[in-house]
Amino acid sequence: MLVTGIKSKPVYAPLRADTGGRYHLMLASGPGAAALLRVLEELRGAAPQAAGNTRVMLAPDNAQVALPFERLAAGGVSVFDGVHALLGAFRTALDESFMGTRLYVAGPESFIGLAMKIALEFDLNKDEIRAEELGTLARRVHCVHCRHASEEVRTNIVKCAGCGQWLLVRDHYSRRLAAYMGVMADAEVPGDLPPVKEVFL
Amino acid sequence: MNDAQTLAVVVTAIEQITPLIKHFKMAAADGGALPAFSGGSHIIVVMRGGSRIHRNPYSLLSSPHHLDTYEIGVRRMEESRGGSHFMHDQVRVGTPLEIAHPVNLFPLDKIARKHVLIAGGIGITPFLAQLEDLHDAAVPYELHYSVRSPEHAAFLSRLRAREGERVHMYYDSESQAVDFDGLLSAQPLGTHVYVCGPAGLINRVTAAAREWGWPDSHIHWEQFAAPPVGEAFEVFLARSKLTVHVPPDQSLMESIEGAGVEVPYLCRGGVCGFCQTRVLESGGELLHNDHYLSEAERAKGNCIMPCVSRARGSKLVLDL
Repeated sequence: MLVTGIKSKPVYAPLRADTGGRYHLMLASGPGAAALLRVLEELRGAAPQAAGNTRVMLAPDNAQVALPFERLAAGGVSVFDGVHALLGAFRTALDESFMGTRLYVAGPESFIGLAMKIALEFDLNKDEIRAEELGTLARRVHCVHCRHASEEVRTNIVKCAGCGQWLLVRDHYSRRLAAYMGVMADAEVPGDLPPVKEVFL
Repeated sequence: MNDAQTLAVVVTAIEQITPLIKHFKMAAADGGALPAFSGGSHIIVVMRGGSRIHRNPYSLLSSPHHLDTYEIGVRRMEESRGGSHFMHDQVRVGTPLEIAHPVNLFPLDKIARKHVLIAGGIGITPFLAQLEDLHDAAVPYELHYSVRSPEHAAFLSRLRAREGERVHMYYDSESQAVDFDGLLSAQPLGTHVYVCGPAGLINRVTAAAREWGWPDSHIHWEQFAAPPVGEAFEVFLARSKLTVHVPPDQSLMESIEGAGVEVPYLCRGGVCGFCQTRVLESGGELLHNDHYLSEAERAKGNCIMPCVSRARGSKLVLDL
């Protein structure tokens, strides 16, 4: 069973401003805010008029984080209490957005994945989205047997909360599901499990 | 594609629908069903008349749901190298023709949330077939169609009858023009824009879309380049060990074919990239007329699209 070295594992890069875009929509969760601040400064330097077309949506670790954004994003800064509130508003924002929008996402991979999943529903292509991974590497894991998604998985082997099977967490990633695939870890010899280790920190 | 793989068809109807455009219907010579295709596909019509063979690409405008008939529209080109004049002047009901299987280089994006179609003149043809697919789909779309004057508005009654208010007409004669900024500045996310028509229209649409931040993946266009007339030159085909003369009014591909060497092709209009041929040696200048090679690829000088491109100077050697 191939666990690592799988092509579908997402690759991220430090955010850069895309001055080819006309409108800019920026999302961050937790430590991702620092990356947005950096790219917003860059955008303002490269295309001063873009600041008026920039909207920022934050689910920060603390409210103080939002303060420096007020000065930079004339298009508005919204602060949310948690990722799920942010993603709900994000969907509405996409529905109201126009072609020419560039999406910037920064934060833990599970947050990026959920945002990308919504963006995919709006047919945003990879040339319209950029993402920078910052924060925990804890994974969303999709059980290929019962389809339950386990959140915040930090270990190589996890017990599925849906069906109770022990799952091996692979690097095989689904953008549509925004999750890594988990497959039965002891299918060959029931009860024969590799050591459980914390690997996604 | 080469001539061994063509389909035999017979022209079943011809109608002059505007002062410049004739509408042709054709059916399989054996009376059977024609190959399935998707909206935006084109065929190559092989014209064997007179001293030389013409092979021109034409978009299929008939419904992809009806495979008993293919329909094309042919605009009579003033600067014709012979192909459109052959279709207009030589072809009659009952004339047998050979065509290449349909190929789609201008497909609709399957997961788009909205389609904006922009046609200029004869560029309406691929959209007529695409509209057959769009008509029953839940995805919104609109068509913007500009022509010189009302008498040049080919297929308008068909469009009006089926599409109603989704057709927006623009007549040059009444100084009407598409407001590209208005059209492209406030489209919902997931919109794709498609343009087919004269080079000027394609350039204006793609420039306006990029100006408004549309990424290239949402901008689609098709224009078949006619092989331009140029200076005569000679080419040496290294594998065939043949020297071929390319006269001013024949394309490099036509001349090579005339010498009995087959070049694989799909569009013959500089779009698909299928006929890309390695240049082994070039003592002069490559005159690239295709829409396929990037600037970087052109700069390397080691390949050419013989369907529309030419050379100047001495010693062009191709890997054929």
